[in-house]
Amino acid sequence: MTHFTRGRLARLGLVAVAAASLMLAGCSTVGSTSGASTDSATDSTFTVGFAVGGQPDADWQDLQGEVAKGLAEQRGWNFVELSNDNSEATATKNADIFIQKGVNMVMMFNGQPSANPVIAKKYADAGIPVVTFDIAQPGWYFVGVDNATAGTDGGTALGNLAKSKWNCQVDLVISAEGTAAGQINTWRTGNARDAVKKVCPNIPEANYVSYEADGNLTTSLANAPGVFAAHPDAKNILVVGLNDQAVVGALQAATQLGRDGSIMGWGQDGGLITGANVDPHLAGSVMYFLEGYPAEAFKIADEIAAGKAPAVKDTGTDPAASVQPCPVTAAQAAAIPNINDRVSQLAAAPQGTTEYDLFCKA
Amino acid sequence: MTATAPTLFDDPVVPPLRRILNSFRGPVGSISATLVVTLLVGLIWVGPSFFSPSNIQIVGVSVAIPLIVGVMASFALLAGVVDLSIGSMVGFGAVVFNQLVATGMNAWLVALITVGVGVVVGLTNAFVIVRFGAEPLAVTLGMLTLLRGLSQVVVVSAPPSTLIEPLYNVTQGAIAGFPTLLLIGIGVTLIAAGIVSKTRIGRKVQAVGGDDRAAARAGISVSKVRVIALVASSVGAAVGGILYVGQLGSASNVLGTGLEFQIYAALMIGGYSITRGGVGNPIGGLLGLLVVAGITNILNVTFTDPNYLDLITAIILVAAVLVDRFRGGDAFE
Repeated sequence: MTHFTRGRLARLGLVAVAAASLMLAGCSTVGSTSGASTDSATDSTFTVGFAVGGQPDADWQDLQGEVAKGLAEQRGWNFVELSNDNSEATATKNADIFIQKGVNMVMMFNGQPSANPVIAKKYADAGIPVVTFDIAQPGWYFVGVDNATAGTDGGTALGNLAKSKWNCQVDLVISAEGTAAGQINTWRTGNARDAVKKVCPNIPEANYVSYEADGNLTTSLANAPGVFAAHPDAKNILVVGLNDQAVVGALQAATQLGRDGSIMGWGQDGGLITGANVDPHLAGSVMYFLEGYPAEAFKIADEIAAGKAPAVKDTGTDPAASVQPCPVTAAQAAAIPNINDRVSQLAAAPQGTTEYDLFCKA
Repeated sequence: MTATAPTLFDDPVVPPLRRILNSFRGPVGSISATLVVTLLVGLIWVGPSFFSPSNIQIVGVSVAIPLIVGVMASFALLAGVVDLSIGSMVGFGAVVFNQLVATGMNAWLVALITVGVGVVVGLTNAFVIVRFGAEPLAVTLGMLTLLRGLSQVVVVSAPPSTLIEPLYNVTQGAIAGFPTLLLIGIGVTLIAAGIVSKTRIGRKVQAVGGDDRAAARAGISVSKVRVIALVASSVGAAVGGILYVGQLGSASNVLGTGLEFQIYAALMIGGYSITRGGVGNPIGGLLGLLVVAGITNILNVTFTDPNYLDLITAIILVAAVLVDRFRGGDAFE
């Protein structure tokens, strides 16, 4: 066969692969209900655009989309979903796509919020209301947990454990910070640290150390060994942090280094405190039931769909809806269903029910 | 007057139409056909709205900056030195620009400083690679890590918001229904294509990438060509960072993460080679990026699981590499 003929065949092959790949993807359209490919501008059914965060190691973000999809189906609404892919550029592009589709409102978690002012400008120009989870943006309905209370609750619980187990003889209190989260980090990590100090006031100031965990397990696990190396004699160790991933990253690092003989962590958000693979040193966490945030957001959506849009409350101190924090020990958390079962139970619950109602009140 | 017979080294006379058609042989032909298929699939699957002005705007805005960065980085690829640090340089350039503008400095001056940072980074890469003969992959991987680390050192909490209206309008605007930034990107691509195929410097770059020893024997300064190519690559990334700040109104410390893989995948689909210099054309790079952007858009506007994008891009990338081998690789070029 000549090169010329082979070249022709090769080009045909590449074209065929492109077409086959696209068709393959076409067989698996997900994240949409009620005919998402139809422009909502030509459809009078209320349409919710949902942008999941797309951060790694955060199943709850995808499950937020699952919960929202179920809640939209309950109401007979259209639902379209995109992933922000943990990228501000993608989040901005997603805003353009939702606007083009003519959605009636948007719900989103954007873990890289630096582009939020630009995104807010686009939605404001298009007249589309937005509900944001956990990261406030002027002009958007804020739905989030009471972070200050959550931080204090977690630190108090961990301090009490240190008091009962070690009589407050603590060699090291590690703060797994997520500074990019700004005030939220201060509330969660800082308040937890302050609460430990309050319960155990005799821990020397030099025993409090911080490192950047960036709110994810991978970074936390990579950076924590430096902290342990810098304090080779520390035995009784406490860990607080921005979220469960940050705290568990430190706990796993301790295990890898053989420094887990006497260490306890207390997380925030509850992302890693339920299920089959809970870190044995994670003493507890403050559960936010992150995957259930859409239940709060849909209360706002109901009012908007009814033509009675509520006043925008866009700050953490004056939220449109406040999610109740639920501090639990690891033993208590074991009685709470895993995240997938919680999503199923929430989907089956009467309209207006939250996960706090289902799993924490009792 | 008698016509002289053509010698062995004369180019045969080819009609203009045939010359245009010939240019679509090889990788550019393959990727052109793939783009046509992508557009057809988009038309069938999404409908006429796939070609609506708003959708063209979405595609154009998303592809333009990677295009500009990719075209500039392609000079390094052509010269046989892959620059893995472009994604981090985009991020670091954006961080420098954003942070300095936030202090109230003149945006033009800050843009100049940012480009200057790009020159310094490119010269640093070039110094280590050319002066000490270090492996380009290792050096630029080190620079990738260094620049990402610097971005994280500079931006430790929420970055400032710096919505610069004129820059925003350029990056998000349109001229006659066509995205302004994409027009700029296409302009840069055409100029680069002209430099590569029509100028002595372009031929020198290809010669150095194709066989640096032969190029040196022919009197070409291999070091000079590679220094210029690496500086062009970093400067392109710095400009990309500035444009991202215009588009997004800010710059976090993770901006540009993974962009190098997105760009090089598209360039390879478009006919470039990571391991072989001297191969590829900026037009192929443009088409490669448009194919990936087109597929991304189809998946986005049909709200298909975005994880399929990586799968499809990988399949097309592997197919492009196999096609390159199947049609003869080096022998064909």
